[in-house]
Amino acid sequence: MRLAAPLLAAAALGLGLAGTYAALGGGSYKPVAVADPCAQRQRPGSGGVSGGIESVVLSALDGAACTLGVSREELVLALRSTSALHSFARSNGIAENEVDDAVRAGIVRAVDDAARSGSIEPRTAGLLRTAAERLPIGFVLDLIRGATRFLPG
Amino acid sequence: MTQPAARRLLLGLAVALALADGSVVTLALPDILADFDVEIPTVAWVLTSYNIVLALAAVPAALLARRRARTVCVTGVVVFAVASAACAVAPSFAVLLGARCLQALGGAALITASLELLAAQEPSDEDAVRLWVRAGILGAALGPAAGGIVTQVLGWEWIFALQVPAALVALAAMRGAPTREQVAGPSERPDVPINAALALLSAALAAALFLLVLLLVNGWRLEPAAAGVVVTVMPVAAVLATRYAGRIEGLLVRAAAGAILVAGGLAALGLLPGANWLWTIPPQVLVGAGLGLALSALTQRALAGRAPQVLHGGWTIASRHAGVVLGLLLLTPLFTAALDRNQDEALAAGTAAVLDSAVPPLDKLRVAQDVLTEVDRAQGRMPDVAPAFQGHDEPAYRSLEAALVDQLDRAATNAFSSSFLLGAGLALAALVPLAFAVRRR
Repeated sequence: MRLAAPLLAAAALGLGLAGTYAALGGGSYKPVAVADPCAQRQRPGSGGVSGGIESVVLSALDGAACTLGVSREELVLALRSTSALHSFARSNGIAENEVDDAVRAGIVRAVDDAARSGSIEPRTAGLLRTAAERLPIGFVLDLIRGATRFLPG
Repeated sequence: MTQPAARRLLLGLAVALALADGSVVTLALPDILADFDVEIPTVAWVLTSYNIVLALAAVPAALLARRRARTVCVTGVVVFAVASAACAVAPSFAVLLGARCLQALGGAALITASLELLAAQEPSDEDAVRLWVRAGILGAALGPAAGGIVTQVLGWEWIFALQVPAALVALAAMRGAPTREQVAGPSERPDVPINAALALLSAALAAALFLLVLLLVNGWRLEPAAAGVVVTVMPVAAVLATRYAGRIEGLLVRAAAGAILVAGGLAALGLLPGANWLWTIPPQVLVGAGLGLALSALTQRALAGRAPQVLHGGWTIASRHAGVVLGLLLLTPLFTAALDRNQDEALAAGTAAVLDSAVPPLDKLRVAQDVLTEVDRAQGRMPDVAPAFQGHDEPAYRSLEAALVDQLDRAATNAFSSSFLLGAGLALAALVPLAFAVRRR
């Protein structure tokens, strides 16, 4: 027993500290997992034209990501540049035109939802729908990226 | 100070210096990488080469030191000093690596021969071993901290430049140092289970020493000097533990208790609940105390009653540094893969934070772009997102910045988790050869 005491004391100290850290959340201290884009989520509420467009864009991204089977965040990061889009398409085994189609369909669906709920005015909805359906998707995305230059805050 | 006391101090300094070199450049690696424009796996050879050569050269050096301890020690110190100077002024990465290998050769000679010189002047072999082990533990544990402070204050070249006068001062200890008359006879076989336990525990030590400073500096963005101060908890705990180690009866019990403490401390580092250096203090105390208990007990046990002592001292150095190399080889790929995975997860979580933030919608695009620019600028290291928020003191921006920093801290901490837990596993694995040693007894 006299020989076992140091071993027991060491084990108690080690297990005690590791156990305390685990109980304080050590096992789950990692980047927060991103939400399922197919599930309903609370979106940041801000008014005005820009707030309405924000809702449309976020809803469109969720819809497109859900269709493609990826997270909304992965899709956003893929849309930041042509090379990021190439890399995203390659690593997920998706053709780039599928990404285009999904984003376009997502925007149209989100615009329709926003117009129905009254979040954006019918005229704005019409413009966005036309842009999403007719303009090259790269241009639409550039428009969204550079929106600060075209729209009031 | 009496002459034997001064000699004891200087020999201890030389041993600590040579063993510190196994880890001293840990925090200097990013600067060396930048100066010589080499890849990350290549720059790691500045550490690995020293440990490999020391592991390979320790036993042959001990065989030489057995016959001519003073000559081998003086030669080792001179080679170590010249090689250190060459490291400090190395014009290319190849020269730096070559000088590091030479430094390890000199280190192997001075470390092993110092044991023989200490044994010749201390009252007993046990006293000499105890002193030699303490100096070694202190040097190995202080290495990263000292290197970090010198790198930040003076530059990485000074880590090596400062070793030249320190090594030369140690030369004074060799003058007139008594040597023992060697008793001719066959060498006893090394204690395999004990040396295996030493190697496994040293592999765990690699996790504790190298990864903790990397987490503090590269993960949590502490200044190298501040990180150096934080990790001094480990050597202080180690030295205190060696001082009181005698109260635990039985070397094997002491070694096993030490291994369990190291495993517990590393497991706690693998389960950190937050990104604050204060969380690392209790695990450092356990790891340091465990190392102090286990390394001293295992080394004393490996040498106990085995002749010639210097040769078995050489085996313990070879085992320890082979263990460090094993640890680096096992931990580096695991850590690199975890870092990549966590950076991707942090980027996704950060993107979610931006999209869902209360920042005005149209400014989110600018903020997102600026944050991604900082991510690209960090080139695979943890980015500093503060510049993306300069000039914005509104609560929404501050809240988003805090959310992003939180995600980065989580990613950095989690990236190290699996490697610390593997280190804990290696420390526990040291109990297996210890069990063999108990059964053999």
